[in-house]
Amino acid sequence: MEKKINYYNRISALFFIGVGMFFSFYGRMLEIGVWSEPGPGFMPFWSGIVLIVMAVFLLLGSFKRKEWQVMPPFFRLADSWKRVLRAFFAMGAYLLLFEHLGFTLTTFIFIAFLLKTVFPQNWKRTLIAASATAILARLIFINFLETQLPLGFLGF
Amino acid sequence: MDLLSHIALGAQVLFVPANIFFCFIGVLMGTLVGVLPGLGPTAAIALLLPSTFYIPPVTAIIMLAGIYYGAMYGGSTTSILVNIPGEAASVITCLDGYQMALKGRAGPALGIAAFSSFIAGTISIIGLMLVAPPLAKFALAFGPPEYFALMLLGMVVLIYLAAGSMLKALMMGVFGLLLSTIGMDTISGTQRLTFGILEFSDGVGLIPAIMGLFGVAEVIVNLEAGIARNVLTTRVKDLLPSIQDWKDSFLPILRGSVLGFFIGILPGPAPVISAFSSYAIEKKLSKYPERFGTGVIEGVAGPEAANNAATGGAFIPLFTLGIPCNSVIAVLLGAFMIYGIQPGPMMIAKYPDLFWGTIMSMYLGNVMLLVLNLPLIGLWVQVLKVPYPILFPIILLFCLIGVYSLNYSTVEVALMIGFGVFGYLARKFQYEMAPLVLALVLGPMMENNMRLSLVISQGDPMIFVTHPISAGLMAVTFVLLVSPLIPWIAKRRKKLQEKVGGEEV
Repeated sequence: MEKKINYYNRISALFFIGVGMFFSFYGRMLEIGVWSEPGPGFMPFWSGIVLIVMAVFLLLGSFKRKEWQVMPPFFRLADSWKRVLRAFFAMGAYLLLFEHLGFTLTTFIFIAFLLKTVFPQNWKRTLIAASATAILARLIFINFLETQLPLGFLGF
Repeated sequence: MDLLSHIALGAQVLFVPANIFFCFIGVLMGTLVGVLPGLGPTAAIALLLPSTFYIPPVTAIIMLAGIYYGAMYGGSTTSILVNIPGEAASVITCLDGYQMALKGRAGPALGIAAFSSFIAGTISIIGLMLVAPPLAKFALAFGPPEYFALMLLGMVVLIYLAAGSMLKALMMGVFGLLLSTIGMDTISGTQRLTFGILEFSDGVGLIPAIMGLFGVAEVIVNLEAGIARNVLTTRVKDLLPSIQDWKDSFLPILRGSVLGFFIGILPGPAPVISAFSSYAIEKKLSKYPERFGTGVIEGVAGPEAANNAATGGAFIPLFTLGIPCNSVIAVLLGAFMIYGIQPGPMMIAKYPDLFWGTIMSMYLGNVMLLVLNLPLIGLWVQVLKVPYPILFPIILLFCLIGVYSLNYSTVEVALMIGFGVFGYLARKFQYEMAPLVLALVLGPMMENNMRLSLVISQGDPMIFVTHPISAGLMAVTFVLLVSPLIPWIAKRRKKLQEKVGGEEV
């Protein structure tokens, strides 16, 4: 079913009300101070309040009866969500693995996974592109730029 | 005479092999990111920032600045040959540039884009040399209330120009301010929202935020459908424009250069606004406005000059006030701070070698770009042919390594991925990224200046309207905030928004 922008506004307004409340409460826990000497909680508290007020306006406005803009589907194609999820998963896995497996090996796995699963390539292309990227990245970052990237238990 | 000695100083700084080499690397990388859709100059500068830690600050700034103006050059190539703008500032170039290419005049279109960019770049550098030093002297009169008012105005202008709902843009600005409060409070030393994580003590890292919001999120959005590119297969020949082309383009280039420079000084997506404004002006002044959009060379020359001149103008608020007016300049401000240099009114006097060296490098960079762009068009066309399915994992990898190598911190990488998720969702919900980034950068400075102002005035908020400069700036801010409530202004604002929609600022 097609959704309109006011539906999206409602969801995001609730999110920002939550964010505003969190910062305001946190600001109160710190010291707000007085106008002549604002404390560390002054900015988070008042900015949080301003955000809540704005988000409430957005929320209330979303209930107005008018011609709202019809939004395109959240995911452009039926399988788009899989690509998005796989890309984020790959980045998360890279973050978790590369200090243990080492930069070169993790880079190879990362590139190969994305090439094979997001816009599936044949194995030959996947392996050539992943190997070339891993080797080149290693040469550029570790050998040329001397960046301190983890080498992992395999030592590369 | 003074100016000449400064130019000589700049030349002395620039003409050492390392600086020339890094200037070349900067413009080359800039052209590359300009050519590649899906990776903008903001993410590219953030990405290359860690690699500059081992070189002197002057050299690093020369390279990073080169990426910015280089990207404007590169953006036109994709507009003309593929009808896909590499940069939002080159959107308007598609209209006539691609039509010229379809008519077999891709060569002159690319040629005039390069020449007009060169001429405009040169004019804007001269403007920068003339305007920045006196403005810096004037800015010495600024105290905390003036700085606060100026930064508030900068943010509101950006919000005013945001595509879509102004309320949503304001919310993103305030959200950015809230995020900027994370870290140690510089006045009291209190840790705020750090949850014991060491990396948060210095605040939310600007580079992870920008890489996430602009780099990762942009790639993920493109992933959903993939970017289909159909590169024009006709041979690009006759790059040098004819005498008639020059006659038609000369005045549009001059007008575009001046317009772009002055718009560049203002906060916001100046290259885009100036390119669109230049196109509108040229169409209005033309004897045959109906031919615009069918492949007239003025439609390429004017906007290309304007968007390049705007990049020069954009450096003025940074060098004179220490305030970034868009996200690219915000990353540069971050770079300055990492190198231990505080941009602002004192910068030109304190670091004349850096200021004049950078300015002179822009001139050399423009010459390099002219030399690079014309003979290397064939290479850029080949780069465009690299399929996106191969390209996107490499861009993501560069984002991951770029952020990790900043401080060798996995927390910052996680932060970048988090910002990537947020940026992706925020785009879906039609929120603007630019106000968030600017607020994140300006937030700590705004907070400090506001609190100092209140301490100075013993708690009287009227200090912001009793000081003349600050009062003037506040008045403009107020007018901008309430003006959308007036119907005819709202209509004009909507038109302006349509022009700048989707710009990476």
